[in-house]
Amino acid sequence: MTQYIVRRLIHSVFIVWGCATLVFFMIRLIPGDPVLQMLGPEYTPEAAEALRHKLGLDQPIYVQYLKWFSSVLRGDLGDSIATGETVVGAIKTGFPKTLSITVLSFLIALAIALPAGIVAALRRNSVIDYLVSILAFAGVSMPGFWFGIILIILFAVQLRWLPAVGYASLTQDGFWPWLSHLLLPSLAVGTGYAAILMRFVRAGLLEVLGMDYVRTARAKGLAEWTVIARHALRNALIPVVTVAGIQLALLLSGTVVIETVFSIRGLGRILVGAIFDKDYPIVQGVILLIAVIFVMANLIVDIIYTFLDPRIRYG
Amino acid sequence: MKRLDWRVLSGPRVSRRTLMQMAMATGAFGFAQWLSACAGGEATPTAAPAAGATPQAAQPTPGGTTPATAATPAGEARRGGTLRLGYGIGQILTLDPAQVTQGIVAGELVANIFSSLVQFDQQLGLVPDLAEDWEVSQDGTEYTFHLRDGLKFHNGDPLLAQDFIYTYERTTNPDFASPHANKLNLVTSITAPDELTLVIKLSEPYAPFLATACSRGPGRALTPISKRAIDEMGDEQFGLTPVGCGPFMVVPESVEVGRGFRMVAFEDWYGGRPLLDEIVVQIIPEPSSRISALEAGDVDMLDIVPASGVEQIRANDRITMVEAPGTNWIGLTMNYTRPPWDNLDARMAVSKAINRQEFIDKALFGLAVPSIGAIAPAFGWVYVPPEEWGENPQGYNLEEAKALAEKAGLRGTSVKILSSAQDPRPEEVLRTMLQEIGLDVQIEQLQDAAYNERWEAGDYDMNINGSVVDADPDDGHWNFFHSQGPWNTYGYNNPRVDELLEGTRRTNNQDERREMWHEIQRILQQDVAYAFLYHTPDRTAFYTYVKGYVAIPEMRYMETVWLDR
Repeated sequence: MTQYIVRRLIHSVFIVWGCATLVFFMIRLIPGDPVLQMLGPEYTPEAAEALRHKLGLDQPIYVQYLKWFSSVLRGDLGDSIATGETVVGAIKTGFPKTLSITVLSFLIALAIALPAGIVAALRRNSVIDYLVSILAFAGVSMPGFWFGIILIILFAVQLRWLPAVGYASLTQDGFWPWLSHLLLPSLAVGTGYAAILMRFVRAGLLEVLGMDYVRTARAKGLAEWTVIARHALRNALIPVVTVAGIQLALLLSGTVVIETVFSIRGLGRILVGAIFDKDYPIVQGVILLIAVIFVMANLIVDIIYTFLDPRIRYG
Repeated sequence: MKRLDWRVLSGPRVSRRTLMQMAMATGAFGFAQWLSACAGGEATPTAAPAAGATPQAAQPTPGGTTPATAATPAGEARRGGTLRLGYGIGQILTLDPAQVTQGIVAGELVANIFSSLVQFDQQLGLVPDLAEDWEVSQDGTEYTFHLRDGLKFHNGDPLLAQDFIYTYERTTNPDFASPHANKLNLVTSITAPDELTLVIKLSEPYAPFLATACSRGPGRALTPISKRAIDEMGDEQFGLTPVGCGPFMVVPESVEVGRGFRMVAFEDWYGGRPLLDEIVVQIIPEPSSRISALEAGDVDMLDIVPASGVEQIRANDRITMVEAPGTNWIGLTMNYTRPPWDNLDARMAVSKAINRQEFIDKALFGLAVPSIGAIAPAFGWVYVPPEEWGENPQGYNLEEAKALAEKAGLRGTSVKILSSAQDPRPEEVLRTMLQEIGLDVQIEQLQDAAYNERWEAGDYDMNINGSVVDADPDDGHWNFFHSQGPWNTYGYNNPRVDELLEGTRRTNNQDERREMWHEIQRILQQDVAYAFLYHTPDRTAFYTYVKGYVAIPEMRYMETVWLDR
């Protein structure tokens, strides 16, 4: 197991490096000069030259790459071209927000998907099952940003229960301000995610419920709840965990859009803004981090399998 | 040119009229027109009520639209409270005056953090700011400023004449690459005979010098910078957490790029402590979210009202909207150097196929006024509304458009329209309209930087653009329609237009100039230099409990604002 994890980690380093390198060159292929963009329409060629030199953009691209790569190895991701803040600083302010939304929407998704999926499976082909399926379809089809705007209009503008935009820090502003700013965006992201998970919970559970060991468990006279929770659900969750891991991408990309709707400057908005501003260091730094998150999430999913199903062994 | 006495620019008050006269006398028309455009005073009859010499108070109508010159009555101004300002920008790139290129950051934020030598009044005349008085020599090349006694930076350091010398050296340092260094090109020397006296010498007289280099907000080149602050934190950090000298101080720990920052009242500001305790600047880039934030009460004021929310805000009787006539024009360019646009019939067919009002209704929520030329409505002395102009050859006439399209062989032709807009609705509406004459328009959407490069290189068939935040008709014409204009990238060349444009820069007879502009407009219409589309007004909005707002065009000086709740 340890050996497996170590091997995976070594692979991960190469994957992340490949990603980062690809992005480094790709972003430079996008048309548009970051220097001219920064200086605005009234720039003088001298100012452009000075700035280009200051940013090191007058050097050959391979020199820029080697410089960047060696600083990354030292843990220095550079400074933003557009704002001058350090890339690490930008990530430090953005990451907690994206993480908060992602975690909360994940919890919301679980809170919706598990009970709904279980009920739908147990009451197969009943009215409840159909209702849940219809809602699931609606959830999958509804664009997150649209749902987000609807939530804002309902809960912020009409009812005035929750703030429409912005973010409050958990440590500085307290728990309720933090949560109240997060509820709507997390709901907007979490609902679509819940719909996907729910389909898998239902399908997984249905498959397992037909198995011999479930019949045996019932025959033993175990309470129905114990049969479901201890025997059936655990096995039904393996595809769910896989999907949850893969769909983390969905969660993160959903967060990017939602951060714009709710004016929260998390990683997503930082990244999108940086792409528009041709802010190379920020784009490189944030994508590096996202690559790390993805690789780690996949690794964690694989490890979770072994706990859910002891038959799965990595050696 | 008759001999000018430049001493009229001496302080402690220079009216906009004087500034305009001097600017025109020296050919700085762009600046003069900007003043006339922004003021909404005597030169712009479209903006009522005309304000007198002192800021005139007018009661804003809740739920309605208030003319730009209106200010809430001073009444019983109350101290205290926090104003939350919803700010429509992707991110604030820097707050360092010498580096700010985002116009709204300069006029709306920097102007509150930094004072400068002089500032604008409601009629866009100049009044004292840090300099309580100033003299301009008879030949217009020497400016002597007398600073107020006891001025301070936000870090407590005294602000003296030497600080302006430091600022000059910093802005003009080539390594610092300030985009505003060019505004100091004419300065030959800057000296401080004593701590409170600053003498600036220019190589030649230049009327707009006070406003473009020394004013609060736009005069970014000489907005005083604390040397100690730069020594302590460096240029980069200063852009994030500047140490200013204006009515509000940035709270360094509140600054979060892309989220906003807080500014608190500066007790030692020479003008006295501002009425608000605090302004929270909250960045809300998404227009629909900005509207929701205001309506939900997350913010008290929006810097600029996005078009998509105007109707909603107007219907809300707890919110006041202040509206000023636009200083802009937008039109459709057709690249003369590429077929089919080298053919006048083809261009005219396109222009005649566009129903301007329908275009505005569909693409812009009806929130603009149809345009017949490049003279913006704010330039009241020269602007003529479409209904009074008479014959406009470019005007909508589908039958003629179809006939011309047939003649020019446009049917079935495929062209691309270059767009940088996040919302390509205008392009889409145009595409539908141009289908009527058989033109197949494809939309090519690009990011800003790429779009700008293509545009500068003249590498496009068509695109929608124009001149915004205009200083004057000269800005919006010369750059686009003079054969040597920097933004004439589509190959327009009409010697008569060149001649007239040069003429408007030579004379300072306002009537003559008006005639010239009108002749230019007629030629541009006939040539279809652009298919002119629309003008948009400038709008800001706040809750009715926000009082004391004094509307100075394109500025948001906030020290007079207070909260009545």
